[in-house]
Amino acid sequence: MSRLAYLKRIGLAQGILLVLALIPLIGVPAYQFYVLERGLQNVLVVLSLVILLGYTGQLSLGQAGLVAVGAYTYGILCVNYGLSPWLGLVAAPLAAGLVGVVVGFPSFKLKGPFLVVNTLAFSEIVRILILNNEKVTGGPFGLNRIPAIATGLPLYYFMLVVAFLAAVATLRLSRSHIGLALKAIREDEVAAEAMGVHVRNYKLLAFVISAVLAGVSGVFFANLAGYLNPDSFTINESSTYLLMVVLGGMDNVAGGILSSLTVTSLPEALRFMARSRMVVYSLILLLVLRYSNVLNLANLKRMMRRRQPTPDASTVAQNKVNR
Amino acid sequence: MGFEAILQILIQGLNMGLIYALAALGISLIWNATGLFNFAQGDLLTVGGYVMLSMFSHWALPYPFAFLLTCAVMGLAGYMLSQGYFFPMFSQGLHPDIIVIGTIALTVLVQNGILLLWGPQAQRFSPPLGDSPVHVGQVIIMPYYLWNIAVVVVLVALLQVFFKKSILGIAMRAVAQRPVTASLMGVRTNHLVALTFLLATGLAAVGGILIAPVIPLIPEMGGLVALKAFAAVLIGGLGSFAGALIGGAIVGIAEVVFATLVVSTYKDVFIFAILIAFLLVRPRGIFSAEISEKV
Repeated sequence: MSRLAYLKRIGLAQGILLVLALIPLIGVPAYQFYVLERGLQNVLVVLSLVILLGYTGQLSLGQAGLVAVGAYTYGILCVNYGLSPWLGLVAAPLAAGLVGVVVGFPSFKLKGPFLVVNTLAFSEIVRILILNNEKVTGGPFGLNRIPAIATGLPLYYFMLVVAFLAAVATLRLSRSHIGLALKAIREDEVAAEAMGVHVRNYKLLAFVISAVLAGVSGVFFANLAGYLNPDSFTINESSTYLLMVVLGGMDNVAGGILSSLTVTSLPEALRFMARSRMVVYSLILLLVLRYSNVLNLANLKRMMRRRQPTPDASTVAQNKVNR
Repeated sequence: MGFEAILQILIQGLNMGLIYALAALGISLIWNATGLFNFAQGDLLTVGGYVMLSMFSHWALPYPFAFLLTCAVMGLAGYMLSQGYFFPMFSQGLHPDIIVIGTIALTVLVQNGILLLWGPQAQRFSPPLGDSPVHVGQVIIMPYYLWNIAVVVVLVALLQVFFKKSILGIAMRAVAQRPVTASLMGVRTNHLVALTFLLATGLAAVGGILIAPVIPLIPEMGGLVALKAFAAVLIGGLGSFAGALIGGAIVGIAEVVFATLVVSTYKDVFIFAILIAFLLVRPRGIFSAEISEKV
């Protein structure tokens, strides 16, 4: 990425977040504002996936599990042990980061869909553990009365500042030597290793950074909702996060921010369709994926690299070999 | 633990395990034909169960007729899914990860579709041989255990004949082994990929029909079933016919053993732990098929 393109991207990300900073001034109804806050909270998860999937090329369907670890660590520490919310804000991402190490280890051996199954299994294990340890987590009844760092506008601006810092850090990471090493791993692991990139360490680093970001997002989730329930961290959430990052263009920070805000508010925008809105919502996502190359939403150059002139057997064959 | 307890565990485990094996077979077939992990396989199974529920319970069609009609409807849905959605994505040369995410998006659509059409409550229809348990000594056998096991055994035998004897089955195996060569020999790859989806969805539909009396249907059950099927397919060996069956049986029996001997709330955690262990230690599974590239 050239210096100019980089500045453009930083400018775009800053522009979007500036608009978000101004939105409360025009006065938004409470519920729409809550949706906006949820979108902002999802921005952090999407940034975590930009690093993991976009930069490093590691497909993960366990992000909801990491968000759950962050949210529940914060909730349990603050509710059961009376810890101050600010200390909880520090402790929860650390716990998520530690779990990220555990999730990251299998990535040394596993790729693509195999890694997806692995991360998916991990995230289900987290959910089942939360569901069954009723004394600590409240189990299916959930964890109630979670103290917040702040409420209302201060919380919104705090989240905005954190999201802004995370976005700038993610962008700067992409140009740093770490980011370049991660992208080298994405393009070709063997070549990266040959060029002196310690593949294992960098993969683990990507998983930990992404887990910490997901953990922060979990803390914000707990702050926004004030109530935690294992149902909020299912496979569905993980797949929505993945869709957001793909629609945003995989390694595009500004695109990721936009798509997480759009996808989060899409079900609300479709509210007039009443019961069928979630079907329409998922149908839209499916079609956007199907035509992602036409819509130029996903990073065109990289996605189309193996484009074939006519649909034939060799594309299927290549798809298999690329595994 | 006496002989009867072992028999009880075995029959209960096989019952669930063979249902997982049906979903696992579908995953394995699609992997062989396209190199794609279909994460929606569990949800296609659930839809099969719901379609059967409508035909059998609501429209009161006779069981065998409803059974076959459900498989046909679901098979057709699978065929169209491949022709309209997945094969175009392959032929555009999209990144394989995007197509995998496409199957994940499909799970979201299917679950929301079920929620819209059939509602959130758990639903069940009564199995063909009734609901009263049969006592053989101390072993309690639900009639549908035997029915489920019998159906799967017959189905597997038919599939074996299909793959070994019929020209279509041979063509499918050819596409799985050497797609380019197969197309040079006059096999229409897109057609065959779609037929593989048809077969896989049909098998999933049978799984859905058989699972409904055992576990009541709920819209979001597909995720868990898919994960168990993936466990089965990765333990047994990806791409292998026998592997999917044995893997399914192992998952089903391990689940019941853990639930009976240790604690039932953590039986899924136990299965997923085995799955992760297998992925790390032996990603090729027990029966590794030589035909396709792995990991």
